[in-house]
Amino acid sequence: MKTIDKDISIVIEICGSAGEGTISAGEILSRFMSAQGFEIMSFDAYPAEIRGFGKCVAHTRVSANPIYSPGKLADVLIALNDNHAISQLSALKKGGILIYDSQPPKPHEEDQSVVARADAVTISYGVPLTMLAQKAAGNARGRNMVALGALTALFHLDRDAFTNSIKDRYGKKKQIVIDSNVNSFLEGFDWTKENIDKADTISFQGVTPPQSKAEQKGEKLIINGNQLVAKAALDADLKFYAGYPITPATKIMEILSKELPKHGGTLLQTEDEISAIGAVIGAGYGGIRAMTGTSGPGFALMTEFTGLSVMAEMPAVIIDSQRGGPSTGIPTKTEQSDFNAAMFGGTGDCPRVVLAPTDTTSCYDATVLALYLAEKYQTLVVILLDFFLSNSIRNIDTPKKPAPKMLNANIAPDAADLAGYQRYKITDSGISPRTIPGTPGGMYFATGLEHDANGRPNYTDKGHLAMTAKRFRKHASVLAEAPAPMISGTQEMVDIGVISWGSSAGAAHEAVVTAAGEGISAAAFSSMMLSPFPEKQVTAFAGRCKKILIPELNYTGQFADFVTKIIKRPVERLNFITGRPMAAEDIVEKMREMI
Amino acid sequence: MNTVPTDAIKSGSVQSGPDHSALSDPGTEPGTEPETAVGKTAETATGNAAETEQAGYLDEKIAQVRAMDFLQYRSPDLPTWCPGCGYFGIMDAFYKACRELDLAHENICAVSGIGCSGRTPIFINSYGFHTLHGRSIPVATGLKLAREDLTVFAMAGDGDALGIGGGHLPHVARKNIDITFILFDNSIYGLTKGQSSSTTPYETKTNSHPVGNPDTPLNPIKLALAYGSSFVARGYAGDPEGMKALIKAGTLHRGFSFIQILTPCVTFDKTNRTWKALKENVCSLNLHAPAPDNMESAMRAAENEPYGTGIFYQDKERPSYQDILRQKKNAK
Ligand SMILES: Cc1ncc(C[n+]2csc(CCOP(=O)(O)OP(=O)(O)O)c2C)c(N)n1
Ligand code: SF4
Repeated sequence: MKTIDKDISIVIEICGSAGEGTISAGEILSRFMSAQGFEIMSFDAYPAEIRGFGKCVAHTRVSANPIYSPGKLADVLIALNDNHAISQLSALKKGGILIYDSQPPKPHEEDQSVVARADAVTISYGVPLTMLAQKAAGNARGRNMVALGALTALFHLDRDAFTNSIKDRYGKKKQIVIDSNVNSFLEGFDWTKENIDKADTISFQGVTPPQSKAEQKGEKLIINGNQLVAKAALDADLKFYAGYPITPATKIMEILSKELPKHGGTLLQTEDEISAIGAVIGAGYGGIRAMTGTSGPGFALMTEFTGLSVMAEMPAVIIDSQRGGPSTGIPTKTEQSDFNAAMFGGTGDCPRVVLAPTDTTSCYDATVLALYLAEKYQTLVVILLDFFLSNSIRNIDTPKKPAPKMLNANIAPDAADLAGYQRYKITDSGISPRTIPGTPGGMYFATGLEHDANGRPNYTDKGHLAMTAKRFRKHASVLAEAPAPMISGTQEMVDIGVISWGSSAGAAHEAVVTAAGEGISAAAFSSMMLSPFPEKQVTAFAGRCKKILIPELNYTGQFADFVTKIIKRPVERLNFITGRPMAAEDIVEKMREMI
Repeated sequence: MNTVPTDAIKSGSVQSGPDHSALSDPGTEPGTEPETAVGKTAETATGNAAETEQAGYLDEKIAQVRAMDFLQYRSPDLPTWCPGCGYFGIMDAFYKACRELDLAHENICAVSGIGCSGRTPIFINSYGFHTLHGRSIPVATGLKLAREDLTVFAMAGDGDALGIGGGHLPHVARKNIDITFILFDNSIYGLTKGQSSSTTPYETKTNSHPVGNPDTPLNPIKLALAYGSSFVARGYAGDPEGMKALIKAGTLHRGFSFIQILTPCVTFDKTNRTWKALKENVCSLNLHAPAPDNMESAMRAAENEPYGTGIFYQDKERPSYQDILRQKKNAK
């Protein structure tokens, strides 16, 4: 019997219509698996190839080992809706498992049922989902729970613990709601135990999740990137957030609208993104920590203000959670195509800091770091998230609260500085001590015009050069405090080195491990800090790689172009824009081709 | 280039008290900002022999004016505006209002956009932030929400506030953010040298509409009223006492104060809003007499010509944005 061991993890997809409980079933499954001590990574997808309205897929990867990427193909597909599930069959592994409704409310035309469309090697289990839900609760609403009951029975999961997870999920609802869900689950469990002849090999029987996990059970957070960004911002003393709704960043604003006032802060919903970043810069000027969040279209509107933040040396943090395509694009799909916009968008020679978290946990670290760097270096910090990082759910260890030094970073002038105060004093670090309005003796004029050390407009060639150089010197100082790049794989010369960024990095690091198992020598490099970029480290890394592969979710390879310039040699690219996050399998396939 | 400065000094100095032209320093940054009128006028001004001969007189005059108490609110920087520009008068009124309100310098924040008017914070002895074209309101909003203890002014030209930045006005007004907004309305784009703005009258010839402006102008007072501003007033650059009173009242008002100042651009507008035309076309609002808390009568008064100056509307009861947030927090 095949059990979950250190080399195995499974992907379960639940596919249905909006309103059929697809997403909540996925959520309960993830929470149960997490409570059992497994690692989980899950996300809800809304594929573009929707016919009709409302197809959704809850995708959950479960593993006894650390998870770095979401997995490409599913081991199990639960079809709550045959119409939708048919188009999801292409994401099911060869020989995978299909659980479907054997007595659907309306019988399918011949050939139109998911089981008829599944290929011959698929292991299909028909469970009368609708009928059993009716029996348990008097209506069909509990079909999703029946399916979870079937899954529990098939894979020998802990029935009573699963029941508790359902109770937890609906704990605040009326008793009748809890009972209907639990009864539907049990109905599905019992029916499957009695009627299904198991033909697959997946079983959780006897699998003890890694001991460490079990110990930490209580401290695990089940959380997505947006929630973690909001949490980090509050922990890092954010006092002001301005925003304008846009997928996938809206949730950050919604969470903070509840939480910020409790923390003595203010949330401002603005008339547009220009106003949002303007207000953030105004609040930063006033001396408090401020942030805004948006996606590509909003970031485009903000670019003029990004230049002001850099030029007037005012702290500002912008989160850009990337989605698909230019313009309004594909709002509900993930992409990494705002790299160039974040790194280079805007006016003039404009040194900014750009951070891209590589996984859920690092969304926390990046937010804390961004607020710190913006305040200390009095500049613009952009955090590049994407639809996948914003929305995918992980169970992670509760992050450590930021150290005190991260919370109070403004470099204020001392008495000597204040005598003849120069707000834009030229310094080696590029940082000039900054007063905040209200400070007697520290008054200054801030402007987006080029200026001298006092802030007075000055367009002389020498003056402009000296100030531009000063602003760029911040880069060297920031780099000195940048988190070390993550390097995995062997330390020796390798056949393939994978250099990646953002949410694709996890897949790259995982791919290196898989590739090693196939005898491909490989190593992976990723850096949360994109600007300034750790050029020395990446050059050193590239120096021990025979070939370089750069995988990313955009059409041309924006990051690959950037890295090519630094390491001065051609690279192999892996680009796709299907809206699916990068999986380790994608990279391993490419590595096989390259060998 | 025509001989703007001398013309301007004549008409300007009659209207606005101290001889501002004496305080302007046309030589500060000649030719440094290709976009400005300032550099250009400076060239002609420095070439003016009569002016150099008068140096002794000017020094004396400068010393005299400096001795006045309210000038502590002036920064040491000499304005780069064209001699005779209406903005000098606005600034004098501003300094005097600050003096009479006895505002602590370090608690004043003047936030401006881009334009000749955008330069204003440089000339104030306080904190100041010269932001982007059209964006003084968002920045001032963020600042006020961060620091309620500060007295925050936002300043903008008509192009800045009603053209490129026109989308922000309705929202700062309906939110009732407690800042004082001063519209430097010369009905022309000054800094970019004389194109039509959102308040340029129909048919006026400008550098962007040489055969006459095809657009109908906006009425800023009506807009401010319609947007729900809780304080709406109009002043005139040739009436320093009137402007001072409005700036004081606007600053003391708790909530969003909108103050339109009618002012000439002596360099790029020779036909429409000149000192002469303004003088003839401006009157006290008493002539129209809107009841200060009556929106309808304020709207009617806003339609009238000659242009009434004074407070059109004030709602003293309405809570500011931050008052509302506090109420909500305490209600929980
Ligand atoms: C985004 C942007 N577009 C255009 C400009 C050029 N520009 C500078 S000031 C100005 C208009 C100024 O007119 P107004 O706001 O009426 O102010 P005034 O100069 O009359 O005080 C323009 C178009 C700019 N600075 N930024
Ligand atoms: S508004 Fe007109 S007169 Fe005033 S400084 Fe600008 S160009 Fe000169």
